[in-house]
Amino acid sequence: MTSIVFELFANLERLAGRHECTVEVDDTVTTVGDAVTRLAVAHPALAASLERCACVSGDTIVRRADALPADGRIALLPPVAGG
Amino acid sequence: MTHAVLTHAAVAVDPLLELHAHPECGGLALFVGTVRDHHEGRSVRHLAYTAHEPLAEKVIRDVEQATRDRYGVPYVRIVHRLGDLSIGDIAIVCVVRAPHRAEAFDACRYAVDAVKHGAPIWKEEFYTDGTSAFVEGCCIRDDLDDQLAPHAHHHPPHASHG
Repeated sequence: MTSIVFELFANLERLAGRHECTVEVDDTVTTVGDAVTRLAVAHPALAASLERCACVSGDTIVRRADALPADGRIALLPPVAGG
Repeated sequence: MTHAVLTHAAVAVDPLLELHAHPECGGLALFVGTVRDHHEGRSVRHLAYTAHEPLAEKVIRDVEQATRDRYGVPYVRIVHRLGDLSIGDIAIVCVVRAPHRAEAFDACRYAVDAVKHGAPIWKEEFYTDGTSAFVEGCCIRDDLDDQLAPHAHHHPPHASHG
């Protein structure tokens, strides 16, 4: 088993009540999208908001089809509203 | 390229103008976005901006460079405020120096729109009735088209408000 740490922002952080969510995954989870799907199962309150989130590793947007980041950390960014 | 594009402190406009540099420029366009006291009919008391700072910094620097390239202007400077803001506080400043006014105006509008639509910054409004909400924004996923999402490019109508 591997730990994937999701970093949550804005309304996602409010829904979860915390800034990070950790999900334990087995080796059938190989992509960012796989991990997001597991997060939705483990935290149903977040599920409806995940489709419109961008996934970020470090300072780079990663796609659902990309391999899991080596450091096991994924930031979930909901729709943005700066300015 | 070491200037700050995000700040948790109040933004001072004057140091960003570079009025005594760029002698080839006859124009300066300035946009200052400030906190207003209402949103979609609700009375706003104050608000908080948060960000994914590493990506927000990168996006804003990329917007500065893209704006210089696209409009052929020598100086584009953007600063976005984070943290707790009161009504009237400065949220974003964009300065463009250009040889002539047309490209100064165009470049300034382009840069502000690009930051609002692309930088991972969120606005939480606190209303006078004691409630709060995050303002609905723009999805920055770049792979939604790969999915069977029926509303893949939903942009709320208020997304271009200052």
